[in-house]
Amino acid sequence: MKNFSSQTKREFLKRMAATVSAGMVVGLPKMSLAAGETIKIGFLAPLTGPVAAWGKPGLDGCQIWAERINAAGGISINGESHPVEFIGYDNEYDPAKARAGASKLVIEDGVKFVMMLGGDPWPGAQPVADRTGMLFSTLLPSDLGPDTTTLIAPAEVHPIYNVTGVQWLAENHPELKSAVICAQDDALGIPSVATYLAAFEASGIANEDPILFDAATTDFAPIVSRMISLNTDIICLDTCYTEFVHPLVEQLFQQGYEGTIISCTADFYQQMIEKTSAEFMEGFVFQFPDFDDPALEQDFINFDDPAGFFSEYNSRHPGEWGAVSWEYASIMDLWKWAAEKANSVEPGDVLASMLESGQGEHAFGTADWWGKDLFGIDHALVGNWPVVVIKGGKARIQDYKWIPGWYDEFGDILKKYFTQYNLMWDQR
Amino acid sequence: MAFIGLLTLVLIALPHGLSYSQREILVVLTINILVVSSYRLLTLTGEWSLGHVVMMGVGAYASALYSKEWGVPVPISMIIGALTAGLVAWGLSFPLFRMKGFYFLIGSFAAGEIIRLLWKRFRDPFGGPKGIKRIDPFPDIDLGFIRIDFFDPVNYYYFTLIIVVLCLVILWRIEKSLIGLTFHAVHWQDKLAESAGVNVRDYRTLALVISSTFAGLAGTLLAHYIGTVNPNGFDIEQMVFVLTWAIVGGTTTLYGPIIGCITLTALNEIVLRELGLEQGRPLIYGLILIVSVLFMPKGLEDVVKRGVAWAQLQIVKERTNGV
Amino acid sequence: MQTGLNALFAAAYLSLVAVGLVLIFGVMGVINFAHGELFMLGAYVVVALYTNLQMPFVLVVAIGLIFVGLVGILMEFTMFHPLRDNPLGGLVASIGFLMVIQASITIGFGVRMEHVPPVTQDVIILSEKVRLPVQRLFVILSAFVCLTALWLFLKKTKFGWALRASAQDPEAAMLQGISTRTVSIIAMFIGAALAGVAGSVTAPVISVSPVIGHSVIVSAFIVIIVGGIGSLEGAVLASVTYAFIHTVITTFIDGVIADIVGLSLMLLVLIIKPTGMFGTQDRV
Repeated sequence: MKNFSSQTKREFLKRMAATVSAGMVVGLPKMSLAAGETIKIGFLAPLTGPVAAWGKPGLDGCQIWAERINAAGGISINGESHPVEFIGYDNEYDPAKARAGASKLVIEDGVKFVMMLGGDPWPGAQPVADRTGMLFSTLLPSDLGPDTTTLIAPAEVHPIYNVTGVQWLAENHPELKSAVICAQDDALGIPSVATYLAAFEASGIANEDPILFDAATTDFAPIVSRMISLNTDIICLDTCYTEFVHPLVEQLFQQGYEGTIISCTADFYQQMIEKTSAEFMEGFVFQFPDFDDPALEQDFINFDDPAGFFSEYNSRHPGEWGAVSWEYASIMDLWKWAAEKANSVEPGDVLASMLESGQGEHAFGTADWWGKDLFGIDHALVGNWPVVVIKGGKARIQDYKWIPGWYDEFGDILKKYFTQYNLMWDQR
Repeated sequence: MAFIGLLTLVLIALPHGLSYSQREILVVLTINILVVSSYRLLTLTGEWSLGHVVMMGVGAYASALYSKEWGVPVPISMIIGALTAGLVAWGLSFPLFRMKGFYFLIGSFAAGEIIRLLWKRFRDPFGGPKGIKRIDPFPDIDLGFIRIDFFDPVNYYYFTLIIVVLCLVILWRIEKSLIGLTFHAVHWQDKLAESAGVNVRDYRTLALVISSTFAGLAGTLLAHYIGTVNPNGFDIEQMVFVLTWAIVGGTTTLYGPIIGCITLTALNEIVLRELGLEQGRPLIYGLILIVSVLFMPKGLEDVVKRGVAWAQLQIVKERTNGV
Repeated sequence: MQTGLNALFAAAYLSLVAVGLVLIFGVMGVINFAHGELFMLGAYVVVALYTNLQMPFVLVVAIGLIFVGLVGILMEFTMFHPLRDNPLGGLVASIGFLMVIQASITIGFGVRMEHVPPVTQDVIILSEKVRLPVQRLFVILSAFVCLTALWLFLKKTKFGWALRASAQDPEAAMLQGISTRTVSIIAMFIGAALAGVAGSVTAPVISVSPVIGHSVIVSAFIVIIVGGIGSLEGAVLASVTYAFIHTVITTFIDGVIADIVGLSLMLLVLIIKPTGMFGTQDRV
């Protein structure tokens, strides 16, 4: 993709706006905010269809975020406070619809920032981002590349943080010596497989060949039978969808597995305990805390009032809480921090303000802008990540691990596996 | 003639009456018109396929790979991409045309699904479930005094419009030629046609290859505009949309599927979105499908036909009254 | 051995769905694209009544059977009967119905998966390596009971005879004085109810979400083709064969390859026996 100087970008925007206004009442994107004017933020993610579980709960979380921020006076730019509003567009996880949606949000609605799930739809929206200079965010850093100069991955640097769980496990249970990974064969599963392989190798744990399955699988008994037959100390559920983690765990229980389980996520883990037993789930390692965890009340945590957010979310949307519920909202915290620091909501200014010191305010503490090695650009925000373990039927943060520290030591192993799975930016 | 002139004017003026994102939708709609119209050619022989969208995907994948891996210039790769789709269809015709009717429908689904799973399974060269990204865009045209940038949906709309209209003319000529008449014969009287010396299977194969080639061309138009293809973009759900456009529009005329496609797309992408429905959009779209087949069993084309007949009658009445 | 049991479980719920699909196709001549959604609806009956209202599981399964059966009758009255001479219209209407059910469930229950607490956690340990959870045994037994009941109904009762007659030749059946309308309604009820019961009994074992119908319907299509369309015995036999092959390949090679093999098997059957039971008659 060609790089556009800011000059041509501005011209392009003007020309586009000019042709647009011939048909509809849409003005030029405003270069400065009127007093008290509402700041619009785009939310371009799947809201219907099979991938909706990765978008819809995030928009719900953002609505709560906006209400909380607006009640506290909104976003303060040059001493003026501005309320925030989210505009959603359902991209149905389709690149063509993402392109139309990105155009609508950026050019017609005049949003100042667009949040996406990323994955398949991102390449559709990318040309719009390039031409308009709009700032976009993704939850999947595998979308990053040297040419994605206006895309950031600020909340979840999936799957790199998975190394922290393995690191903790190896430190606390040195007797575990072998592992097998299973994953659905898709954009979420594969990078995670490469990461877990590297993390196990770095901790001196032997890997069996990973077991991949199609995302349309309904019955997991055969996969579990195969994993158990390998007799490893650890079974790793990778970044499987919640719909897969539950039946996998239930099958592991029913087929009599007795070893350790590590997974990226364990959404609705109480339900898994109900389906298995508290003893079986004891020591289950994963990466996503409940937001009423006391360990989130520490000073370095940047997410405001996590327990309050958690209870508000659960009362409005019972049974929908998951990682995406807070991640999009935490991206907004970062954006607000950068915009207020820059006293501007213009995409270029906010991005510059975010990257300024090489560090940004991540939900789990100040973190580094990082990723040049793996993604070709330092646009991923990586720092602390919590290791969560189920103890006595409750998920509790055991420790925070500093990811850049792990990478400094074992980066080459991770690069080896990323290369093997064609995940390095120059292989894509 | 006056009608064609008016239509041309409307088609040229159309994007300027739309918002920017609606122009984006217009580009995809124009491409889909080619998909559904080429689909209709196959239905002339009486066969309904569930693999048509996969053929579109074959064109898209082929053209993307030719241009990306071998450096074939994009306009040429699009043509070979479309031909590749035709070639694959020709290969598939051997197993598939041992079947008819319902069995062909299901067989074409199986064949298409196998191709799609192969894209998913073989990361090299198809990119696995993530598909292919960063496909070269259609090159800008620089004539010195004017530079046409095909990123702009209006320019790309005009480009696809020209291609699609050309294709529709070709499809129309085919239908009105001896070959097209034979397609009809194959559908309604295949025993009779056979006894009259027509090789029914050859004609079915021909229809499949032609329709798949055009579908492949539509796929290349999409691939070089959006810049990415992936296996999920050509799954059964997309096929279901094409099928509903064709059936809701009606397939006895060339314009039937086209108005079906335009009406349903406009409803789904513009009207329902403007109403601000999120989760309710598929619900209302589903209801529209049910209601339309219940109350317009012969499709939208029949409504148009009756409308035209009524208008003509009024004109005749007026003239006779005047005399 | 464990693999054999896994396959038997998959065969059980698959055959319930497939037999219902065959029955509807046989009598009505329409492909019910929404059949997977009927399965999903059966599972959501369990979510609503068992998870949320804590009614006894067996009662909930019975309600699931009747409720989804009634939805089947609703489909017959609103769509398939008015469109009886228009199989393509019936197909589109069933696609519309699929979207309506899926969207309604999403609005009512949310996009995320639902929780169904286990009915029992007992496991029958057949040997050290072979374990059969009682919940899975329950699915296998339910399928066996339902299919046996259906078989007895079709072979031993007058209605069953009428139903088979109309499936083979509707016009001849009409001449015999059989009310094809009544037969259609009964076939729709049974066909839908079987899918519903399959969804209800498997709900505690699988992950219930609004999109589970999709993967079920594809397998069911493969099965009814391999079994010879219109043949109920064939559908059951093919379910067992398909489930066994698919499970073995998933266990020992890989899931995507298993799907490819399943589809290739279906193509192969179509090539060898291209027109199946109905000879040259086009049903679509």
